[in-house]
Amino acid sequence: MEPIKEVVLEKTYNAPLDTVWQAWTNPKQLQQWWGPDNVTIPECEVDLRVGGTFYIVMEAGEAMGPYKGTKWPMKAEFTVVEPQAKLAYSAEAWTEGAKEEMMIDQTTEITFVEEQGKTRVKVKAAIYKMGPKAGMAAEGMQYGFTQQLEKLAKFLA
Amino acid sequence: MVEYSTTLDAIFHSLADPTRRDLLRRLRPGGQTVGALAEHYSLTFAAVSKHLQVLETARLVRKRRKGREQRVELSAAGLRKADKYLEQYRKLWEGRLDRLETFIKNNK
Repeated sequence: MEPIKEVVLEKTYNAPLDTVWQAWTNPKQLQQWWGPDNVTIPECEVDLRVGGTFYIVMEAGEAMGPYKGTKWPMKAEFTVVEPQAKLAYSAEAWTEGAKEEMMIDQTTEITFVEEQGKTRVKVKAAIYKMGPKAGMAAEGMQYGFTQQLEKLAKFLA
Repeated sequence: MVEYSTTLDAIFHSLADPTRRDLLRRLRPGGQTVGALAEHYSLTFAAVSKHLQVLETARLVRKRRKGREQRVELSAAGLRKADKYLEQYRKLWEGRLDRLETFIKNNK
């Protein structure tokens, strides 16, 4: 099946592979960067094995205005776990209280390669299915970004 | 704001259905007739028309009369809007990878 949307991104981190792998697989570390900005991660569970669960909840913070307190859980199952090399999971993400209408089915594949003490991370994320009201989640996200840009503009002014 | 969300709901409601997504993929520049599109599916002509109606409401397609035929073609406005929202997904991931960088720096 062709995805509705696919993004492929790459980024190189100035850190050894183990550091980056830990950041991706240790729930306590994930909670600190999974974000987005203005969003907290009240819950995070990682059962790092094929078939294991990856569960993470995002909660909109104060700066998200009308979305404040909104929770966006994601429940995933690992399909690939190759230590320090590759992770893949298929996930359902939704908005709490509107599971059916706002469900987004997605898959994510992350590869890790160490090159001269740096670590290159490649992410391939795709949306395969979305509920009829999933646009609201996108709108929420955009609201967050807009807030962020306004903050930056204020800071620079 | 409310009206905006309504349009958005119509777009995502349209995209939530695999047949409608397939119809969007099949549409070519210049458009096709409903009959030509319907040939690709085991659905009735009426069912295909109904799917196209949903796409038209979301302004993802539009119908245009060309001589005696009515052709269905993609509508750029709706598609751009859908794409703009789907781009949030890219931004989400870009932001995430950037925050990971900050996190790694701060934890050295």
